[in-house]
Amino acid sequence: MNELKHILKLTLVEKKDVSIAIFFGFLAGIASVALMGSSGYLISKAALTSHMTTLVVMAACLKLFGFASALSRYGERLYSHRATFTMLSHLRVSFFERLSPLAPGIFGRYRSGDLLSRIVGDVESLQNFLLRVFYPPVVLGIVFLSTIFFSSFFSMGIAAVMFVGMLLTVVAVPALFSIRKRRTGGQVRASRGSLAIEATEFLYGFRDLKIHQQLVAKERQLRNDADYYNEGQRKEGLEENLAQSINSLVALLVSFFVLAVGAYFVAAGELNGLYLAMLVMISIAAFENVAPMAAFPAYFEESRKAAVRLEEIVAEPAAPRGTDKLPTGQLDLRLTEASFSYPREKSSAVDKVSIHLKPGTKTAIVGPSGSGKSTLIQLLLNVFPLSHGQYTIGGKPIETVEQESLWEEMNVVLQENHFFYGTIRSNLVIANPAATDEQMELALAKVQLELFPLTMAVEEKGQNLSGGQKQRLAIARAILKGKSLWFLDEPVSSVDSVTGRAIYDELFRLGQDDTFIIISHDLVGLEKMDQIVVMENGRIVESGSYQELMDKKSYFHQLKEIENSVFA
Amino acid sequence: MNDLKQLAFQRKNKMTFLLAASLVKGIATIGQALFFVFIADRVFLQNATFESLLPLFGGLFAAILLRVGAGYAIGRAGVNLAADVKSEFRNTLIKSFTENPLLSAAKGQSGQKVSLLLDAVDEVDGFFSKYIPQMIQTYIIPVLLLVVIFTQNWTSGIIILITAPFIPIFMAMVGKGTKKKADEKMEQLSQFSGTFLDILQGLSTLKLFGQAEKQQQTIRKSSLSFRDSTMEVLKSAFLSSLMLEYISMLSIGIIALEIGLRLVVFDSISFFTAFFILILVPDFFNSLKDFGSAFHTARGSVSAAAQLSAELEKNHSPLTWGSETVAPEPPHLSLEGLAFQYGEGFSLAPLNGEIFPYSQVAIIGKSGSGKTTLMHLLAGLLPQTEGRLVINGVPRENVSEKSWFDQLSYISQSPYLFSGTIRENMEMGTNRKVSDEEVLSAAQKAGLAEMVSALEQGFDTLIGEGGRGLSGGEKQRIALARAFLKKPSLILFDEPTTGLDLRTEQILQESLDELKKTSTVITVAHRLHTIKGSDQIFFLDNGKINAAGSHEELLRNYSPYEDMLAAQQGGGAK
Repeated sequence: MNELKHILKLTLVEKKDVSIAIFFGFLAGIASVALMGSSGYLISKAALTSHMTTLVVMAACLKLFGFASALSRYGERLYSHRATFTMLSHLRVSFFERLSPLAPGIFGRYRSGDLLSRIVGDVESLQNFLLRVFYPPVVLGIVFLSTIFFSSFFSMGIAAVMFVGMLLTVVAVPALFSIRKRRTGGQVRASRGSLAIEATEFLYGFRDLKIHQQLVAKERQLRNDADYYNEGQRKEGLEENLAQSINSLVALLVSFFVLAVGAYFVAAGELNGLYLAMLVMISIAAFENVAPMAAFPAYFEESRKAAVRLEEIVAEPAAPRGTDKLPTGQLDLRLTEASFSYPREKSSAVDKVSIHLKPGTKTAIVGPSGSGKSTLIQLLLNVFPLSHGQYTIGGKPIETVEQESLWEEMNVVLQENHFFYGTIRSNLVIANPAATDEQMELALAKVQLELFPLTMAVEEKGQNLSGGQKQRLAIARAILKGKSLWFLDEPVSSVDSVTGRAIYDELFRLGQDDTFIIISHDLVGLEKMDQIVVMENGRIVESGSYQELMDKKSYFHQLKEIENSVFA
Repeated sequence: MNDLKQLAFQRKNKMTFLLAASLVKGIATIGQALFFVFIADRVFLQNATFESLLPLFGGLFAAILLRVGAGYAIGRAGVNLAADVKSEFRNTLIKSFTENPLLSAAKGQSGQKVSLLLDAVDEVDGFFSKYIPQMIQTYIIPVLLLVVIFTQNWTSGIIILITAPFIPIFMAMVGKGTKKKADEKMEQLSQFSGTFLDILQGLSTLKLFGQAEKQQQTIRKSSLSFRDSTMEVLKSAFLSSLMLEYISMLSIGIIALEIGLRLVVFDSISFFTAFFILILVPDFFNSLKDFGSAFHTARGSVSAAAQLSAELEKNHSPLTWGSETVAPEPPHLSLEGLAFQYGEGFSLAPLNGEIFPYSQVAIIGKSGSGKTTLMHLLAGLLPQTEGRLVINGVPRENVSEKSWFDQLSYISQSPYLFSGTIRENMEMGTNRKVSDEEVLSAAQKAGLAEMVSALEQGFDTLIGEGGRGLSGGEKQRIALARAFLKKPSLILFDEPTTGLDLRTEQILQESLDELKKTSTVITVAHRLHTIKGSDQIFFLDNGKINAAGSHEELLRNYSPYEDMLAAQQGGGAK
C-alpha cells in the first residue's frame, strides 16, 4: 500500500467530493439493507395481524427505502466520478511538475519512444484507483459496521457471524488474491511484452527470415509465445472467477449461519421469531454489495504497478545544476576532451572531443549517420552531463551555470521538433510571448512559409504539415526568439535544396555576428563556414575551413566524392 | 455481434455445458430460497425445535454449494471459451501474417498489426467470458423463477410480466441515445489524453523555450474542463440507470403490496408463499440487470472484432512453389510480362527482359517508381499478378522453394538482426555447420574482424534487442558477412542512399566485387560507378521499364538517362 500513498494523497486533496461520494455510497447501501430488512419484518408482522396499518407502513417503507437507495446510488456515482476526474487532473499536474526538471535529459536516457505513451497509459489506469480500489472497501466497511451494530441489538450471535463474514469478504479474500495476483501478474505482463517483441521482429524481419528460410521456425516461436500469453491470461481469468465464487460463497454462507444461529435462538426462546426474517434479509442485502470486491485484487495490482512505474521515472535523481546566470554579450563555447556514453552502452557516443566555438563564428559538423553529431549538440546544449572532460561557456564551467539561463540565450532547431495541437500562432508564440502578428508573419516569410495564415490549425505533432514545412516552421520559431547563439541539427534535411539554400542565406544575413553551430546532412554549400568539423565513430577526424579540407584531399574530400556520385 | 455469437455457438459442447450449468444454478437458487423460507416458517410460526430443522439446514447448505458451484462452473467455462477463441484468433492472425507477404509486413504498418494481435484480440475477451455466459443465464434463470412464481401466486407473475418488459424497452431507448453520446465522449477522451501526451512529448521544446511552467496551468485547466463536460454525459447515463432501478423497485413494491393485501386483508396466501415470493422477485430483476451490464461490456468487443475480421478478410495470395531444384550456379532469369498490382493503388506494368548468369543489373528510378517491388518479385517474395518469372527455363512456380532461397542473398539498406550473438546473426541462412575459420574469414572480408576483436566476447557478443547497439555501417557489414558464409549465386542488393562512413563504403565496394565473381548481382543502384559498371540498366519510371540497356546504350538512345546524369552532376556542384 506504501506505493500508493502518493496517489491516495492526491485523491484526498478534493476531500469534499470524496466524502460526499462515500456518504451517498453508505446511504445507498444502508437503504437497500433497510428495504430488505423492513420487508422481512413487515411480512412477519403481517402474518400475525390483520391490521391495515401494517400494510400501509409496509408499502410506505418499501417505497421510501427503495427510492432513497436508488437516488443515493445516483449521487454516489456522480460524486465518485467527479472526484476521480479531479484526482486525475491533480495527478497529471503533479507528475508534470516532477518530470519537468528532468527533461529533456531523461528522454535521452530512456531512448525509448514508448516511454511517454506508457506514462499516459499509467496515469489513465490510475482512474480506477478511487472507484475500484480505495472506495469500495471503505463504503462496504461502513455499511457492514452499521448493519452489525443494528443487528447486535437483537442478537450478539448474529452480529458476530456478520462480523466474521465482513472480515472474510472485505479483508481476507481480497488480500489473499492480491498476494497471489502479485506473484502471477508479472509473468503475464512479461509474456505480453515478449509476444509484442516477437511479433514486431517477425513482421520487421519478414524478408530476411523468408530468404534465410527461418520463417517457419520463427512462426512456431511466435505461436508458442502467443499460446503462453494466452494461457497466462486464462489463468488470470480463472483466478478472478475463483475469487468471485469464493466471495459469493462466503456471502451466502453468512446468511446461512445467520439463519442457523437465529433459528437456534428462536427455538431456545432467546430471540423473538418476529425478527428472524428481518435479520436474514438484512444479511442477504448487506452481502449482496460485496460483488465489486472480487475485482479488487486485479485493480489493486494494476494501480500499484502503475504508481510504482510512474514513481520510478520521476525518482531519477536530477543532475546537480548550477545557479549562475550567463554573462551577457557574445559567448565563446569550449569543449575540452569531452566524452559521453549512453547508460547501459559500453562504447562512447562522443569520444574525447575538443572543439572551440569563438563568438560570431560559423561551424558545421558533418559525418556519417551514427557518428555522434547529434549527441555532440546535446552535450553543447548541456542536456546530458559529460562523462569526462570540461565544457565552459564564456569562461564559466558548465556545472555552475543554470540550465534554463543557458537555453534562454539559444535559438535551437533539433532534428525532431515538437509542434503542439493548436494553430501556427500558438506554436510560434512559445518562442516569444510578446511577438506581434507582424513579427510572426515576417518570420514565416523568412522561411518561405508566408502562405501559412497564423490561424491555420496545427494537428497533433504537426501531422498535417510535411517534413519540410515542420523544419521551416521550427526555424521560424528560432528566428522569433532572436538570440545570438544558433544550434541547428539538420535543419533543412527535408527541404528542397534551392529553398534550403535560401533559408541558410537568410539566417546568415539575419545573424551576421551571431555564433552558428550547424549539423549538416549534406556537404553542399559549406564553403562559407569558418570551421568544418568531420566526425566518425564519436571522434573528430579532421577540422578546418572548406578550402583547407579540400586541399588536404582527406576524409572530407572523399565523402564529398561519394556524395557527388550518389543518386538519392 | 452476430458473427461473434456464431463463433460461440460453434462450440456446441461448451454451450450445452453452459445451458446445463445455468439450469442447475437456477434450480439451486430456487432451492435455496425454498429452504430459507421453510426454515423461517417452521421456526417462526410452527415453533419447531432446532434439531428437527437440521435436515432442512442440510438441504439449504447443499443448495448454496450447488448455486456457488454452478456459478463457478459457468464463470470457468466463460473464461475457457474466451481463451480458446482468443487463441484461435491469434493463430489465424499469425497465419495471415505469414501468408500475406511483404506489402503488409511493410515497416510502417507493423505497429498496427502488433496491436491487432495483442490489444484487439484482448478486447474480444469480454464478449466470451462475460456476455455469452450471462446471456445463457438470462435465457434460463429468469424464466425458471417466473414459472415458480406463477405456480405459487399467479397474480405476482402477471405483475412481473407487465412490468419487466419495460426494462429492455427502456434500455434500448436510453441505450441508443447514450451510445452516441458516449462514443463522442470516448473520442474526446482519447483526444484529451492525447493533449497530455502532446504536452509531455513537447516537454523538451517547452524547456528549451522556457515555457514549461505555463503548461502546468494548461494541463490543470483542460483536465478540469474535460471533467465538467464528461460529467454532463455521465449524468444522463447515471440517470438512465436510476430509471431502470426505479422500474424494478416499482415492480417489487407493487408485488409486495399485492402480497401484503392478500396476506393481511384477504388472508388468501400463507406466510410461506409470501416470504418465498419476496425472496425470488429481487433475484429475477437482478439477473436482468446483470445482463444489462454484460451487454455493455460486449459492445467494446464488437468494434475490436470488426477490426479483426477486416484484417482477416484481406485477400491473401500466398506464393506457390514446385519441386524442381535449381542448380547451385548463377541462374538465367527471364521476365515474361511480369506484372504486379496491389489493390486499386500501386501497380507494376508487365515487364520483359533477360538476366544472364554472372551479369550485373542495375535498377534505377525515382522513389516510388517500383524498384523495391521489382526486387521482391525477382526474389520470389511477392506473387506476380500476371506473366511469369522463368528460372533456367522453369517457371518460378515449379521450382522448389528451398533450393531457390538456398541460392539467394538479399542485402537491404536496413538488414534484419535478431537478438542473439554476432556469430548467430552471421550464420543465419546457412544451413550447414560452419567452422570458426570460415566465420573469421567471412568477418574479415566483410570488414567486421577488427570491430569484433575489440569486443570482450568477440563473436559471442549479444546484439539486437537488449544487446550491444550497432551503427548502420556495422549492420551492413553483418549482412555482407552473411552473404560470404552463404555463398549465394544470386544477390539482390539495395544500395544505401547516404549516411555510411567511408570505411563501410569501401568495404561494400570490395565485397561486392568479390561476390560478383561467383554470382549474378541485381542492384537497386544509387552510386554512379555501380550504374556505369552494370551490364544492364533497367530504368524504371512509374512502374514501367522505360528503357533497358548498358550505360553507353542508354546514353545514346534514351535522353532522360542523360538528363538524369546531368542533373546529378549539376546537383553535386550546386
